[in-house]
Amino acid sequence: MVREFELPDVGEGVAEGEIVGWLVEVGDAVEEDQPVAEVETDKAVVEVPSPVDGTVQAIHADAGELVPVGTVIITFAEDGDETATEDEEPSETRTDTATETRSEVGAVESKDDGASDDGSGSASSGRVFAAPSARRLARELDVDIGAVDGSGPGGRVSDTDVRAAAESDDDGDGASTADEPAPKPAVERVEGGDESDPGPAMATGSASRERTLAAPATRRLAEESGIDIDSVPTDEERDGEAFVTPAAVEAFAESQRAAQDADRAALAGSGGEERIPYRGMRRTIGEQMARSKATAPHVTHHDEVDVTELVETRSELKAEAEERGIGLSYMPFVMKACVAALRAFPSMNAMLDEEAEEIVEKHYYNIGVATATDAGLMVPVVRNADERNLLELASEMNELVGKARERSISREEMQGGTFTVTNVGAIGGEYATPIINVPEVAILALGAIKEKPRVVDGEVVPRHVLTLSLSIDHRVIDGAIAAQFTNRVMKYLENPQLLLLE
Amino acid sequence: MVVGDVTTGTELLIIGAGPGGYVAAIRAGQLGIDTTLVEKDAYGGTCLNHGCIPSKALISATDVAHDAREAEEMGIHADPAVDLAGMVDWKDDVVDQLTGGVEQLCKANDVNLVEGRAEFADENTVRVAHGGEGQGSESIEFEHAVVATGSRPVEVPNFEFDGEHVISSRDALALDSVPDSLVVVGAGYIGMELATVFAKLGTDVTVVEMLEGILPPYEDDVSKVVRDRAEEIGIDFFFGEAASDWEESGDGITVRTENEDGEVSEFGAEKALVAVGRAPVTDTLNLDAVGLETDEDGFLATDDRARTDVESVFAVGDVAGEPMLAHKGMKEGEVAAEVVAGEPSALDYQSVPAAVFTDPEVGTVGMTEDEAEEAGFSPVVGQMPMQASGRALTLGDTGGFTRVVADDDAGFILGAQVVAPEASELIAEFGLAIEMGATLEDVAATIHTHPTLGETVMEAVENAQGKAIHTLNR
Repeated sequence: MVREFELPDVGEGVAEGEIVGWLVEVGDAVEEDQPVAEVETDKAVVEVPSPVDGTVQAIHADAGELVPVGTVIITFAEDGDETATEDEEPSETRTDTATETRSEVGAVESKDDGASDDGSGSASSGRVFAAPSARRLARELDVDIGAVDGSGPGGRVSDTDVRAAAESDDDGDGASTADEPAPKPAVERVEGGDESDPGPAMATGSASRERTLAAPATRRLAEESGIDIDSVPTDEERDGEAFVTPAAVEAFAESQRAAQDADRAALAGSGGEERIPYRGMRRTIGEQMARSKATAPHVTHHDEVDVTELVETRSELKAEAEERGIGLSYMPFVMKACVAALRAFPSMNAMLDEEAEEIVEKHYYNIGVATATDAGLMVPVVRNADERNLLELASEMNELVGKARERSISREEMQGGTFTVTNVGAIGGEYATPIINVPEVAILALGAIKEKPRVVDGEVVPRHVLTLSLSIDHRVIDGAIAAQFTNRVMKYLENPQLLLLE
Repeated sequence: MVVGDVTTGTELLIIGAGPGGYVAAIRAGQLGIDTTLVEKDAYGGTCLNHGCIPSKALISATDVAHDAREAEEMGIHADPAVDLAGMVDWKDDVVDQLTGGVEQLCKANDVNLVEGRAEFADENTVRVAHGGEGQGSESIEFEHAVVATGSRPVEVPNFEFDGEHVISSRDALALDSVPDSLVVVGAGYIGMELATVFAKLGTDVTVVEMLEGILPPYEDDVSKVVRDRAEEIGIDFFFGEAASDWEESGDGITVRTENEDGEVSEFGAEKALVAVGRAPVTDTLNLDAVGLETDEDGFLATDDRARTDVESVFAVGDVAGEPMLAHKGMKEGEVAAEVVAGEPSALDYQSVPAAVFTDPEVGTVGMTEDEAEEAGFSPVVGQMPMQASGRALTLGDTGGFTRVVADDDAGFILGAQVVAPEASELIAEFGLAIEMGATLEDVAATIHTHPTLGETVMEAVENAQGKAIHTLNR
């Protein structure tokens, strides 16, 4: 008989434990009560004993792994059974009293022989069991439902499973960094509230309380009306706390509707309005932006740099490049400067792996170039920018940007970036608060290069000045590093000949 | 550009207003797409005008008369007089009501309706020829097109439909008097439904079929229930007989058939109804102009977005391949419209139910036991005979069974075969179960109303679990 052993509650009410180490290996014979693993909780290190006499058949968690209580961590073959190896078909003779207690916790690798441990038929048939709503959600979130671990009976895939897969999928879809600030939500999301559109800004006459007393039915009515119960004005009190009645909720909901109607009427009166479907690329970009803003605490560092020498250098090289059939913009210079600065500050060329609780510093330099297209923002990625010279960077970038504008760019060509540059100034403007292309940790926005008065050797002279806006993910990068990194980029842009050393 | 042409433009052009086309049009209208629907004949297509709906109307009406005649066991003694012309008038009223409804729904959803026959002129234009002298034609430029031209009955060589001696299913549904005798060529679902109708109306019906059984796609124990009942009501079957030719004789015709050994048999009857299947209507569309080719059977290949090989052209319904079922076409139409609107829609259904309105009805969905095994499952089967159903007994109709096929490992419901009164309705529950990824336990734990035929679903599921109450478990 196979016995799957779940991590017991080794402390008083702890939720998870870290496997400090295994005291047995697969194939070892064990006796009942023999310690098989050391587990550390937030309270203590404890030994986990074997529940049976038998043989260790499989170990499901690595040393160092954090395991929720109730997860199968080890499988024993009890003595007196033929030891089934992991790859064997389950026994053909089924009896009503199942001799195997299969756990549905934890993803089990499906095997080629069609005997999938999670009991789902998908390993053998390729069929995925999921409701149409979950399938549609998977399409919306661009998740391959066939690759989602189902948590339902027999491995059935639920909406929650699909969302979890979408969140754990680090593949950005290229639509990411903004060259304009994200729209500010009209009202703050109510904690634990409905995730639907919170609607326009609250009308006047709304309250703002920390706590509200109300009957459950009143709360439900508020939720259905999309209203934050703490915003409902009331004169009534119970036990010294504000008390809201259903009538008050209805009155407030009505006033909200009236305010919205008035807004609409005002808009209509001023030449009407057009409703454009929020779909396709626009929605993809929007979702990525929202994800980035919700995930990474953004801080933007601004500075400006005298690029007079760069302007001269570029105009000299531009003619040379054109003879070779390559258009040379400022972007390749900026990319080279960024790569040099990223080398000096590796935490800027990184990602945060929240699941593993690790910061991953990357030793390759794939630079995303945010590109405005008719369909919206796209971010083609120039791979291994550190291994290319100026002209190679220019021609690679021109080709990718061209493809993005023609919509012929592939998904792969917009993935795998480690740092992004966005050229706001190409259209106009000086400073921005660009949104990071998560899971990257930083993005640099360039303003327009303008002639401005600068003080050089005590004299006010006209100089070419470029504005820089660097957004960082404050979970990983501190302001000091952001400033140092920007200074390093500026150094190269002020003295482009330094790039020859890179 | 043809002289005298008027050219208009539309975002989405749909050719054919059958279930696939009209659903695509209404959904597109709902999504705010500028939509034009071209129909050469009647709104609702074959389904509403000459297929599903009129046949079901006649089957229901016929059953009323037949059941009354057969109800002596219940203490009812009746011999209803059937006026086929009156029955057909009622059926026509039903059809008119539905087709009128389709037209109104299209208009209410801002769909532009154009009457005429459309063919492609180039990759973004169709020409619509209006019927009748001097009606002229018009060109319509489109951004996207949906081909929804449906299917037509297949003709057997030497048996061209003439509407008098050799009739199609469409002709059969419009007869104004009951023929004394009828040879039905083909024992598929259309042949069997109509053979049953006329046999119940008193026609002497003979079915000749090239294959060795009726309802070829269905399992033997399913078709056997229908065949036994058909023989009870007086239908004669001849299998392994291919219709070769016919000739007029007296007031009727003689149909000749040949078996494998070349032996010829003759069957005399007033008329021959030929129902050997349907073929897609794609030869009228000038598909070359839009850069499309059909397969050898005339179908257009489509992907899971209902899109053909040409990005801007979709195909839905019978032209898009088997199974040629109205409800499959409707879903394809919906998806095509949503894809045009940029929605993340796809044809990712797990199963397509099918129903045959014979006596008793057949309803199937998903996999048979053999198919489940081929797909790599270890299937478990549960069955409930109608004889054990209280409701079937009270209906005086106990032929058939409800059967479920599930995966023995995880309990997922994979398919069902029901041959029973109202099987066409009962199958819906299994369809939902399959689509939701429901397990035997999920359905068994759902309380079903007593006394209903629906209980047989629960009982079959419990039988698969080895814990049925009203039948002996295997």
